[in-house]
Amino acid sequence: MRAFDFFAPKTINEAKALLNQYQESASILAGGTDIVIEMNEDHTKPDVVIDIKKLKDLEYIRIEGDKIRIGALTTFAMISSNTVIQDRVRVLYEASSKVGSPQIRSLGTIGGNLSTASVAGDGVSAMMTLNASVVLESVGGKRTMPLAEFLDGKGFSNRNALQADEIMTEVFFDMPDDYTATAFYKLAKRKSLAISVIGAGMLVQVDEDGICTKASMRGGCLARYPLHFKEAEAHLHGKKITMNLLEETLPMLHDAVYESAKSRPWSVFYKKESVQGVYRKLFVTILEQLNGKSYE
Amino acid sequence: MNKILISINLNGEDRFIEIYPNRRVVDLLREDFKLTSVKEGCSEGECGACTVIFNGDAVTTCCMLAGQADQSTIITLEGLSKNGELDVLQQCFLDEGAVQCGYCTPGMILTAKALLMKNPCPTEDEIKVAMSGNLCRCTGYEKIHEAVKSAVKIYRQKMERGGE
Repeated sequence: MRAFDFFAPKTINEAKALLNQYQESASILAGGTDIVIEMNEDHTKPDVVIDIKKLKDLEYIRIEGDKIRIGALTTFAMISSNTVIQDRVRVLYEASSKVGSPQIRSLGTIGGNLSTASVAGDGVSAMMTLNASVVLESVGGKRTMPLAEFLDGKGFSNRNALQADEIMTEVFFDMPDDYTATAFYKLAKRKSLAISVIGAGMLVQVDEDGICTKASMRGGCLARYPLHFKEAEAHLHGKKITMNLLEETLPMLHDAVYESAKSRPWSVFYKKESVQGVYRKLFVTILEQLNGKSYE
Repeated sequence: MNKILISINLNGEDRFIEIYPNRRVVDLLREDFKLTSVKEGCSEGECGACTVIFNGDAVTTCCMLAGQADQSTIITLEGLSKNGELDVLQQCFLDEGAVQCGYCTPGMILTAKALLMKNPCPTEDEIKVAMSGNLCRCTGYEKIHEAVKSAVKIYRQKMERGGE
């Protein structure tokens, strides 16, 4: 491994000051399950590594009003063992509990997952389904932006909007209410230690009569960032959620995946079919939750 | 490159070492501390051979920089046996024939140990999930699973007798 200087700041301010000093030459270590492997293989060659994993102030899951706020250094193990996440935010629970392996979930953090922004990042798919927002901090101040805007942004690494002196400190989203169902399904070659082939997320909110007031469908590994099934979402909006209605969106999912992945013939033929099977599973889960909770 | 000082509770002993930071925890344990039970397999967090117990959790040390070990408590397989007596899990792996080539065994045993330290009476499913990050290419997993189950049984008997 190439030489570098290592810092483990004790406070967030210290971390921000280090990053301000070293800018692009520094890499943040927020768990290490991606970056240490990249460094070991000489794909990433930072001059300075700033290990922020010991900043316990960024390790939390808080409910504030109608929002759930998660500190960027909260591990997948902490998220998947949190009872509020288990009961209220199935999409995030399912995604977090399937990341890598138990060992990886004890090291890897949600902030690291979102900042690395891998095509196959299950945390990215789940948080996009929840329309989450992220908080970025630097010595210059603090900014908040929707995750979609963050992923779309042009920062120093062209992966996302992070500037060279910024640290992601928090991700937050609306807590799903009693009329909201969410689900996630990871399609992969095996149950554990597998990279997602499709990481599909879904959120449906209904009113008292079961009419859809909000729908969010995002498929990881189907585009550079989780594919947004806009046509399918629009089809559900304003209508009563039934299995028939949900299944009417399947051709739309097929077409959207084909359109997104047609330049990659080795994967598109499998993915445009399998996306429909994956969403069928999600529809069953969504209907179970809606029927169990709100109307029947 | 500046050296860093690492202070670590390793297998129950406080240790200090000054090293260059461009090495991983697996290198630190194997090369600096000569704890060669820690095996390097895939080098990318996918096989679990390099698993140790880090602050109570099973983690893969090929995905960790040595600096991350500072101020931590680490248990490797060398730390399990006491006064020349094998840990219950080690004995169960032997008794059940859960070892073939042996390369995955230290990681398997430490992953199981981390589980039992937190949850002394895990269900079958909890054992399966906990062990899902360790690959074995010889045994087909059945005997490993049996070994962990029989260790759970022995621990439970000990607890009922008011032991460990």
